[in-house]
Formats: sequence, structure tokens, C-alpha cells
Amino acid sequence: MLTLTVAEKEMLDGKKGKLKQQAMRKIVEYAEILNASELCEVSMAHLFCGAHDYLSAAGDRSVEEVISIMQYCSDELLPLEEMACFCQSDCGPMDPINYDKMNCTQKEADRNKQFLDCYRACGVNLAGTCVPYLCGFVPLPGEHYVSSESHAVTLMNSFWGACGNADGLEAGFWAAACGRIPKWGNHVKENRLGTHVFEIDAPIKTSMDWDLLGYTIGRRLPSHSVPVLTGLSNRPTIFTIKYFFAAMATTSGPEMCHLVGITPEAPTLEAALGGKQPIGKATITSSDLLESFKILGGGVKRDTVDYISLGCPHYSIEELRKIAMFLEGKKIARGTAVHIWTASPIKTVMDNSGYTQIIESSGAVVLTSSCPLTSGKLPPGVKTMAFDSAKQAHYMTPGRDIKVLYGSLQACLTAATTGKWSGSDE
Amino acid sequence: MSNRIKGRGAVKGIAEGYAMVSGETIQGWSGIDESTGKIVEIGHPFEGMSMKGAVLIISGGKGSNGWSCHFHAAKLKGVAPAAMVFPKMDSRTGVAAAVTGVPVVTDLELDPFSCIKTGDYVIVNADEGYVEIRE
Repeated sequence: MLTLTVAEKEMLDGKKGKLKQQAMRKIVEYAEILNASELCEVSMAHLFCGAHDYLSAAGDRSVEEVISIMQYCSDELLPLEEMACFCQSDCGPMDPINYDKMNCTQKEADRNKQFLDCYRACGVNLAGTCVPYLCGFVPLPGEHYVSSESHAVTLMNSFWGACGNADGLEAGFWAAACGRIPKWGNHVKENRLGTHVFEIDAPIKTSMDWDLLGYTIGRRLPSHSVPVLTGLSNRPTIFTIKYFFAAMATTSGPEMCHLVGITPEAPTLEAALGGKQPIGKATITSSDLLESFKILGGGVKRDTVDYISLGCPHYSIEELRKIAMFLEGKKIARGTAVHIWTASPIKTVMDNSGYTQIIESSGAVVLTSSCPLTSGKLPPGVKTMAFDSAKQAHYMTPGRDIKVLYGSLQACLTAATTGKWSGSDE
Repeated sequence: MSNRIKGRGAVKGIAEGYAMVSGETIQGWSGIDESTGKIVEIGHPFEGMSMKGAVLIISGGKGSNGWSCHFHAAKLKGVAPAAMVFPKMDSRTGVAAAVTGVPVVTDLELDPFSCIKTGDYVIVNADEGYVEIRE
């Protein structure tokens, strides 16, 4: 049975206005579906803002009507007001400034701007990124938050002991409006223990190693499990580990992951498992990683590459610095389009550091606040495209008559300047 | 009755239809075509099938946290499943249940993957909390 506090009951009774009432109704429904016994206070919300494709299911309506229907599940037009906690936006359907460089029309950009203006009026900071943790959205240990970005949830829970679930997009808006989320799943300490142990019998050093490791573990992970990794010979960095979580959250749905000796809730294997026996055990070898590499489109040769998209998850400033160093004085091959994605706050640092100037002089385009997956946009006539991200390569494959190639950032940059894909990345 | 599996009604209501059963979950992004209800995830046992009017019996959600929004959009387009059954709830399926509003039964006493097959005709009674298999 769900028990509510006096303040929560007041919201549900409509004493705090219609928006909070509807948000609390949905949070209560969600809590009852989960069989949660109470709610917890949320202090941060990372929200999927913008004129996203799926919103078109509501039909041709005003932005406020679409938000009421699609995000708050209300047929009645709700008065939008200031959110109850610190909010930041996730990726949107386009770069809000350079949208024309990614094939978006003025009409699409105007519609997106209307949505963003509406959210900004509700107090959402428009960081526009899937790496909120690189842009000031940093939940502390034990802090309850919501996020629409799957890999950010696993990363912030696992590395910082923060408490969040992979709630759907709508639940993020409900939680932001009423400041509550069901106290369930990773909001409760006992649920965070490891269930499946993976012994890593392969050297994991580079971003691509971590990307392939995440993709491989995800392929083998049953629903509702918490992986525990042992045997890692190298520590990750924030730059390499974001690939791991993004790839793992593509092929599976873990919200928590222990790296023994590295993450704070896993000082030892026993601690990670809470003294219990694991439900499953497996060893991951280099040949398993190679199998994933091939599934993703790695290791093949192509004489042309039409499109290379880099920056999933959005690049950090350090990755962008390295790209600028590589591209300095070089030219992108004729016939190859190169898009490099990051968050708008990071783009400002790039501008200040001169990296944008260097990268764009080569012919590559720096874009923010989106990616091919969230925008669904590709340059016209693309027949072959390459990614350094398992997440993009995996999701961009279905339903398109386009050859998807996968390789390291170095392989992608080399292809960008030669126009050829050598496939020599193994 | 022996062909009933008891569980907990998570979203109330009663519905019936042909089952789509998979111990694997489905991905939301690039997994569901929300305007037709078709499953487009490459290599998935449901690839090419439509979830419209079906009783969807799957293990949970995976992939993007956007999972629920594809079910929500499918509901508004009239191509959502008639009912959903999850042996165990997770946060992705929980929100999908809350936004879709179709009858949902969970916390099953038996493993549905060992006794319900795709194509079986099933009744989902979330008011009383069970799933029943008709021939």
C-alpha cells in the first residue's frame, strides 16, 4: 500500500494547482504499478525537451496542448508553471542554432524553439545534452534524481552512488513538476546489489574497448540484473567509461553496474554482491569483443564513406581537443560529410579554445544538442555511414538501406580525411 | 483453473487477444514503429509483427529511457497492445503501463514463457489479477 505525506496529499487534492495535481496523480499511478510503498523527494531532473518526433502522435496542436497530452497524459490543457526542482534538458531533435547544417527546415526549427521557450519559462536550463554530468548536473551520493538518458542513469548511479531509475520520459516530467518519484528500484539501497558476475579476460583500455565491452555484456545480460565486473586490468576515465554505459544501455537495460575495486559500492566482489551468490557468471574474452565489433559493422573495407557522425555520447572538451589536434591543417575528403556532436556549454569552451575554428576549417561541422539518432536526420543521399559509437551504429541500422560502419575515433578521423574506410581497427 | 496464472493487476481492466510472447524484451528506439505498431528491431522474434490489439508478454524494457514514449504514441495512434503482461515490473515497463493505460498484470506466480506461446489466445484480467490461456 502506498502511503503519502501531507504535502503529497495536498498536491493530489489539487491544493497546489492543476499541474502538480496531474503530475502527482501520474506519480501515484506509477508507484501503484510498481507496488511502491512511499515516494521520495527528487532534487534534479534531466528532461527530454524539444519538438521530438514521437510528440506528433498528439496531432497538430499548440505546444502547450501537446505537452499536456504527451507529457502529463492530460486531455485538459494544464497551466505550465515553474518546475519543483533543478532541471536540465537532454538532447533535442536539432541544433537550435545551426539546424540548417543538419538538414532541418526553418519550420521545424521554429516549432522546436516554441517547445524550448516553453520549457525555459518553466525553469528548465537548456543544456541540451545526453552527458548532463559533464555540464553541472551532478547528483551526489544518495541524492534522488530523474534522467531521460539511459547511460547517464547507470553512470551516475554506479560511479557516484546517486539514486535514479530508467523511468520513461513522461515520468521525468511528472517528477519535475511535483518533485516526487516512487521510492523503488535504485532509490532503495538493497536493490543495488550485483546479480551477475562478468570476469573480464581481455585488455580494456581505449574508448572502443570500453564501448565493445558494454555492448557485449549487454547482449548477455538478462532483464532486471545488475552486472559486476571483475578482472579489469585498467581503470576507466570519465572519457572512456561513458562509451561503456551507452553501449550497455543499448543492448540491455541495467540501471546499476559494479566495477570491483573502482565503483564505490563495490570495494570487493563480496560487497558488490551483498555477501550473496551471483545468479549468473560469465567470462568475456577478446573474441567476444571481436564478435560485437563485427555485428556493429567493424572490420570491413569500403572505398567511399558518405557520412561520419562523431560524438555519441556527446564529446567532452578533451576529446574535442584531440580531434582538433588531428584535423589541424587537414581537409575532410570531398564527398564525405562529417558531423561532430557535443553539448552547447562544451561548444562554448571549444569556441573559446579555438577548436571550433580548427575543426570547421577542415570542413567538418560542429553541432550541438542532438545526434542522428534523436534527430532522425542524415545528409541527403547517404549510402555509407560510420560511427565510433556502438549505440549509434546499433540504432541507426534498422529500417534504412544504408551500410553502417563501426570503428575507433582514430579510424573515423582517418576515413574523414581519406574518404575511404580501411577497416583495419581490430 | 489450471490454465490460469495468478499475478497482480498493475493497471486495472480486462482485455483479450492473441499473445506475442518473448523472454527477450523489445527495444523502443528503432524497435517499434509507433504509427503502425510493427516491431522493427532486427533479429527480434517479433520482427515484422504488429503489436496492435495483441497481448504483449515480455520480460521487461531495454535500451533508451524513451521506451515508454513509443507505447504512448502507439496508444494515441490506435496501434497499442490490448493488454500487457510483465513477469516482473521495471521502471521502463512501469511508465509504459502508466502512459498506455491498457490492462497490465505483473508479479506472476509462474513463468509465462514456459506455458504461453505466441499465437495463444489469452485473457488478461487485471481487476482480479490473472492471465488465462484459451485454446
